[in-house]
Amino acid sequence: MTTLDARPDAIPAEAPDNYLTFRRGVLSWIFTLDHKRIGVMYLFAVLASFFVGGVMALLVRTKLLFPGEVEWMTAEQYNKAFTLHGAIMVFLVIIPSIPAALGNFILPVMLGAKDVAFPRLNLFSFYLWLLGAACAVWSLLAGGFDTGWTFYTPYSSQFGAGGTIPVLIGVFILGFSSIFTGINFVVTIHKLRPPGMTWFRMPLFLWALYATALIQVLATPVLGITLALLVVERLFNIGIFNPSMGGDPVLFQHFFWFYSHPAVYIMILPGMGIISEIIAVHSHRHIFGQKFIAFSSIAIAIFSFLVWGHHMFTSGQSPLMNVLFSAITFSVAIPSAVKVFNWLATLYKGSISLNTAMWYGLAFIFLFTIGGLTGIPLAVLSTDIHLHDTYFVVAHFHYVMMGSALIAMIGGLHHWWPKMFGVMFNETWGKIGCALVFVGFNLTFFTQFMLGSQGMPRRYYSYDQIEGMAEAFKMYHHISTGGSYIMALGFVITGIYLIHSLVAGRKAPANPWGGASLEWQCSSPPPHDNFSTTPAVGDCYDFSAVRWDESKQGYVVDTEAHIAASGKGH
Amino acid sequence: MSHATHADSHGHDGHDGHGHDPHGLHAKYPFLAHHFDTPNQQFESGKLGMWAFLATEVLFFGALFVMYAVMRFTDPEVFSFASRYLDTILGGINTCVLILSSLTMAIGVRAAQTNKKGLLVTCLALTLAGAIGFLVIKYFEYTHKFHLNLKWGEAFYQPVDEAEAQLVKTEPAPVANPVLAIASPNPSAGAAGAELVSLPPVDRTAIAAPKAGPDGVVSIESLKEKAAAAASHAHEEIPHLVDPGLPPNTHRFFAIYYIMTGLHGIHVLIGVGVIGWLLVMAMRGRFNSNYYAPVDFVGLYWHVVDLVWIFLFPLFYLIH
Amino acid sequence: MLMQSGADAALTPSDAVTPKTFWLPQGASTIAPESDWIFNYINYINYFFFFLVIGIMLYFVVKYRQKGREVYARGPAHNTVLELTWTIIPTIIVVVIFFMGFKGFVSMKTVPQNAYQIDVTASQWAWSFKYPNGATSDDLYVPAGKPVKLVMRSQDVLHSLFIPDFRVKQDVVPGRYTTLWFQADAPNADGDFHMLFCTEFCGKDHSRMNRHVYVLNDMDFDAWVVEQGRWLDAIPEEELYSKAGPKLFGRCASCHTLDGKPSTGPSWGNYDGSGDIWARTSSPDSTHKVDGKSISELIGQGKEFETPEGYLRQSILIPGKHLVDGFGNAMPTFQGQLSDKAIDALIGMMKHLDEFDAKGKWIGKPEGK
Repeated sequence: MTTLDARPDAIPAEAPDNYLTFRRGVLSWIFTLDHKRIGVMYLFAVLASFFVGGVMALLVRTKLLFPGEVEWMTAEQYNKAFTLHGAIMVFLVIIPSIPAALGNFILPVMLGAKDVAFPRLNLFSFYLWLLGAACAVWSLLAGGFDTGWTFYTPYSSQFGAGGTIPVLIGVFILGFSSIFTGINFVVTIHKLRPPGMTWFRMPLFLWALYATALIQVLATPVLGITLALLVVERLFNIGIFNPSMGGDPVLFQHFFWFYSHPAVYIMILPGMGIISEIIAVHSHRHIFGQKFIAFSSIAIAIFSFLVWGHHMFTSGQSPLMNVLFSAITFSVAIPSAVKVFNWLATLYKGSISLNTAMWYGLAFIFLFTIGGLTGIPLAVLSTDIHLHDTYFVVAHFHYVMMGSALIAMIGGLHHWWPKMFGVMFNETWGKIGCALVFVGFNLTFFTQFMLGSQGMPRRYYSYDQIEGMAEAFKMYHHISTGGSYIMALGFVITGIYLIHSLVAGRKAPANPWGGASLEWQCSSPPPHDNFSTTPAVGDCYDFSAVRWDESKQGYVVDTEAHIAASGKGH
Repeated sequence: MSHATHADSHGHDGHDGHGHDPHGLHAKYPFLAHHFDTPNQQFESGKLGMWAFLATEVLFFGALFVMYAVMRFTDPEVFSFASRYLDTILGGINTCVLILSSLTMAIGVRAAQTNKKGLLVTCLALTLAGAIGFLVIKYFEYTHKFHLNLKWGEAFYQPVDEAEAQLVKTEPAPVANPVLAIASPNPSAGAAGAELVSLPPVDRTAIAAPKAGPDGVVSIESLKEKAAAAASHAHEEIPHLVDPGLPPNTHRFFAIYYIMTGLHGIHVLIGVGVIGWLLVMAMRGRFNSNYYAPVDFVGLYWHVVDLVWIFLFPLFYLIH
Repeated sequence: MLMQSGADAALTPSDAVTPKTFWLPQGASTIAPESDWIFNYINYINYFFFFLVIGIMLYFVVKYRQKGREVYARGPAHNTVLELTWTIIPTIIVVVIFFMGFKGFVSMKTVPQNAYQIDVTASQWAWSFKYPNGATSDDLYVPAGKPVKLVMRSQDVLHSLFIPDFRVKQDVVPGRYTTLWFQADAPNADGDFHMLFCTEFCGKDHSRMNRHVYVLNDMDFDAWVVEQGRWLDAIPEEELYSKAGPKLFGRCASCHTLDGKPSTGPSWGNYDGSGDIWARTSSPDSTHKVDGKSISELIGQGKEFETPEGYLRQSILIPGKHLVDGFGNAMPTFQGQLSDKAIDALIGMMKHLDEFDAKGKWIGKPEGK
């Protein structure tokens, strides 16, 4: 227990106090209230879940190499595998990945605050996440769950494997974890901005996190109550959703998508925020159309509540509702397009350094463009009827959820890795990893567009009896599975060099990329309380005062010149 | 354990090691957490956080109110029929109890702000009494309904006792899993000839009828006889199962009733806990005009719980 | 039934079926061309914007690469005209796309009058298709050149009926009926078919829940459906009306009641004081009016129909010939759908209406008969 009491003055001068060395020992992590440590714990928890979800994905893809039945995986096991993959990736990985892991670490530092508004709530929210993950394990022990991550009734309420109730409880708890993170971020951004940090001085990542937090606070309770009702329905057969007791299964879909469509933006909005940072910092150039990007985040957050019905064009809801939801859906396309055009304009006359993080940023633009554009035929009524519930949808949302949200998360991880852990990773391996992930991803999922538009339904264990198409589908599935292996290799390499950098990485300067926002002005890794004095806030996208400093092997920001230039700029 | 003691000396936040406190505010106000600059900032943050939390509460119940609206829209006759089984008197008393407890809570917040410890303790005690009183009354309401089998799901259709079972001649089939019970084994095996003696294949009148519950159409006359027999059977009211007006799907009313009032009850229970904690803290003199945030925030919570009931009461009790 | 028999002859399979392309399977329904046109149109717009965005991105990345460690980049930070341009142009494009999809959707949802109705029952993990004459099948058989309406229900969980070649899909929901319609103009060659899938996850054998769709030309289809309807032959003559009658009546029940209550067609029960359907047609002094005249002017020695059975038979097969007073010409013909034996069963049921309850269930012979 003596190690717990490591005092700052006990640390030698050449290793300045930072949040990692501030206190030592396992207990100092378990009971920490430091947003940075909570962020790091979230990060490793999320990455561990990503590994499990990824293994499930590889199992599913490997099964699909074979058109017919295979001995080593039955249809039930396949259904459980893809359900587990979906549920883990959505609820345990993508939703908490950027806000709870990166956001927790970066938000207060970027904002110039010492912590989030409610540090205890923050830690509580992490333990809720762990509890939710434990429920998923409980569910596996109780027989697993095979309802698909959407839990559609009456399959989930009357049938489904034995672990359905535990996983519903788990997702319910994860919902509260997400709500508490959201509340924390809303209050932090409203109340803990230092003097000079006006709304439009705020980096776009924070705008994105703010918009995300609003959705988390306002949409997640509806999921919570819906899943709670589903548990009650399954236990007591009360007749809310169960048609044999007079209930309405389509009502469940309305409630589910009222949350789960906004949840799509909980996943993608923070990713867009990260990309705004990466593009601006690595182009060393003022982000183009800052206000438009900021407002487009808010617009997306608002519209996201109005479009859930586009998941239900074939569900039996009235044609009038289909038409209305289709029309409103297009309103989401516009702010997304505005963001892409603004990122492109930011590259114009920039000073672009092609670091690994920037590779991920450019990959994001590529993949998000495909993901966004392929959303159009899904939003159009007459073409969606054909494409709904086929692999086309699977490909589309993987381009958006994985190709965009997760790639942005990995990009952000590289962008802030030196800041978080004070070490530089190997750029060459970084680019190799990124290239493998990019190529593998496109092989995996682009083929699925053709699979889907040619008519292959999703969630199919076997396709050998699809006469006439089995051979063509087999070829596409083979390419897709091959791509998934390449992608997996890319992630493994990424994991290896990142872990290697923790042990043997070169010490990172405070500002390795030349950023001008506040997080680059504290040391790497940041000290325990982020800023010893309240920082002076300039324009975070004004790079005119950023200079390379050979002695530090990093960039420095001339604060006085920066503040002066920011004043001029506005 | 040095960690814990050390943290305690720096307020209840667990952080330490900050040399900077330019205005001495952290020294002056021990409750001020390290990452806030002023007590006001801390209070405002807490208040905004509380409002955000209450917004999630409103959405939580909001979803249920939407569910209620949909169900009442599809089965209006169920709601007007089943609402008669709720005790308006007890519900009304409960409404008054909650509103009064909201009033004492509001006075309590004011008392905390103005350093009136005695008044604060009295008000919190009264609020706590109101909350517990509400739950006690609710308990009696629930047990009465349970006694009459006014329950959710299939239990709604079980006769209470032998006498009622005699009255309900069209005995509901005990259906453990209604869906499995109706699913035909395999249509492809059936071939055309196998179902020769069946009903018209598409019976459009049968869509919404619950699989549990009184089976088919029973003549009104026979039901009236049963109702008369039941009334003379010394029940104070006609058992719902022999009521000729019993619409199909009535069990769904009680499902949503128990879910909504039950969830509200859980919130009241949580209220009992936090108000009790406030009472203990108030008796120890923790609150004063500088530091009354917990009283204020719990007050907000309590008003929302009250507000939800003010919607629940008319929507369930006063609709017939 | 109203058929485009003229167009039927002119269409060869190559006209009615669009070939498989890189993106889409063959289009074999009348909806497919419009839906495909929109899909391709969106695709071309997508190609354009994709290559535009990626082209610009790559060009900028190459052109504006960082030189050494120089960081100060001068470029405009905002340009309102540009922002508005790339807000408004995509808006116009998506509004146009929405209306195209809307138009296509309306025609998908507008079921033509007197479409050929097939009842579909989905269950874990099988489809059952039931035709108007009571025939059932596991694979779907449809007549070429006729609009076909599927009325679908589920016995357990959600399913979804998807025929890729027809570009149609609709969830099948327990507790409610859903419908979809299509018209396939080209009959399948021998041994050829279209695939039909379940696309809503429904449990273990979800991926095995797929069947074939056979499009037959009019004559072949009629022959097939009559052949498939031979289930009647298994029933002995004396039980025909009590066993086959109710099953067949299911189709009639949407317009005809048994207890005299008003509906689309005249009730089989006593609705105008002239007795039930058999009494009012067989009694010589019936007050029942057909075509404005007493029914006795139609039936009897030397008149249009020798027997009431003849009149009833024609009323089923050619319902528009004579119309009961007070009712319009709303009944579809059952020519080719009902065999003689089926008609015998229905007429037998009319003769013994007192042995059936109001829903058409056979409740046995009354006492003393």
